[in-house]
Amino acid sequence: MTLAEPRVRAALPAPVETVEAGLASIAEHGLAILPGVLGGARLEEARAALYRAADQDRARGREQKFALDYVGDETNQRVWNLLSRDPVFADMAEHPTALAFIRAILGWPALLGNISANITGPGGGEMVLHADQIFVPEPWARDAQGLNICWCLDDFTEETGATRIVAGSHRLNRAPRPDEAGAETVAVEAPAGAIVVLDSRVWHKTGNNRTADRRRGGVFAWYTRPIYRQQENWFLSLDPSVRQFASDEMLTLLGWKTTGLGLVNGASPA
Amino acid sequence: MPELTTKLTKDLEETGVAILPGVLSAQESRDAVDRLWAAAEGFRRMGGPTFMPQLDPNESNVRVFALLELDPLFRDLIRNPAALDLVEAVLGEGWMISNFTANIARPGSRSMSLHSDQALVVPEPWLAPWSVNIIWCLTDVRGENGGTLYIPGSHRFERLADVPDDALARLTPIVAPAGSIAVMDGRIWHTSGANVTKDEDRALLFGYYSADFLRPQVNWNALLSEETQGSLDPWMRARLGLDAAANIRMAGQLLGARPKSPMGVS
Repeated sequence: MTLAEPRVRAALPAPVETVEAGLASIAEHGLAILPGVLGGARLEEARAALYRAADQDRARGREQKFALDYVGDETNQRVWNLLSRDPVFADMAEHPTALAFIRAILGWPALLGNISANITGPGGGEMVLHADQIFVPEPWARDAQGLNICWCLDDFTEETGATRIVAGSHRLNRAPRPDEAGAETVAVEAPAGAIVVLDSRVWHKTGNNRTADRRRGGVFAWYTRPIYRQQENWFLSLDPSVRQFASDEMLTLLGWKTTGLGLVNGASPA
Repeated sequence: MPELTTKLTKDLEETGVAILPGVLSAQESRDAVDRLWAAAEGFRRMGGPTFMPQLDPNESNVRVFALLELDPLFRDLIRNPAALDLVEAVLGEGWMISNFTANIARPGSRSMSLHSDQALVVPEPWLAPWSVNIIWCLTDVRGENGGTLYIPGSHRFERLADVPDDALARLTPIVAPAGSIAVMDGRIWHTSGANVTKDEDRALLFGYYSADFLRPQVNWNALLSEETQGSLDPWMRARLGLDAAANIRMAGQLLGARPKSPMGVS
């Protein structure tokens, strides 16, 4: 189906090189593609850390399925709580380029709601079309309430199950209705090492992986304005050493350094 | 949804505030005041400040923040069935315990600034209640002793621009006998009253509950001791957000639309 509303279309925005151009792309299309944010040895390190964690989970029977993936999925894999798996994921969560987008769109302080991986496997199926801020009752406020930053650790292609989006759908400022689940989408193709920054209102889903033998790993760091409850309860689940060595910015993202909400005895817990 | 009396429903709809008397007996109210002062002392011993200069103009307002840690009485009050009926009448099913604090207005205590709890936190428009206060009146409460001042009907202010210029002139005090609870929609514009009596303490507890997608005011994981956390049942742990099940609201709605097999072939 094609959506009747203006400026909602399936076309993909061109990749950009700067945060400034990225912000313009997000305003217009609801997303920005920045290639080459992670390169060389750093990309290899992150990729190795992700597949080590994923393979450990699978070998030990520790995989936790995600309710919004398709029923009976035995191929696609989620890896949760990445901050506790390897320090490289904290580097990504507080990467200066990522935080530049967070500060510009969400302001500061902001929260890291979650950082997890979505790895598509051969034959893997699609997810439900959704917007990430669907937990906020409509009508939504004027501005985006969150940002999802996807780190492409493999090439994202149509064939490997790249995230599919309805470009410009953030302008509708509402979640897709059930009868729009089949809206025309386009695969966000981006090379390994790119980040894709998604406005929390843009409609998207995991794509089908049509390959016979290739996995496609993406790390999704989900940030919100500081008024929303996080998806991951870091105070319960985080490896204590991550907090011990965390920067002030990371302590803010996790909720240890805070004002107004998330307090202890009327004051910040750290 | 719980069934409220016609009067409670009507008051809540029309003014945004309603009062349910007789939840505690006179003796239970007096006991609770004693336990509250003991908790205030315990809070000071923990190193907690009972004067918050960012909230109150002088030290005659005594604030106690760690009620749920300090005395099991308060762990009972926060889940009192009559209180929770009022919470769910306003918020529906999906809510969390956001905070539970005391504000004892001693003679000479003055007002804080006019605010709505919801407007302080969430962006416009404010079309539905996303939080609610359950105010425990442990003493008689009236204008002179610092009863909470509120603007009746201000839960219908959808934007900052709707707050009238004469807002302060529209304030009216909550008046209720000891042992009552007052329910106040999170959108109500209010402030603490000034206690202009010579010798009367006014003790209120504020149970604050918010929609389950909002970040609670208190980080219960960090505040509550291991011993206290270990004493809580699963229901209470869930309402405090202590466990792994965090913000998954609305996901349920999508499950019906979930693809049944790969490649969209179902």
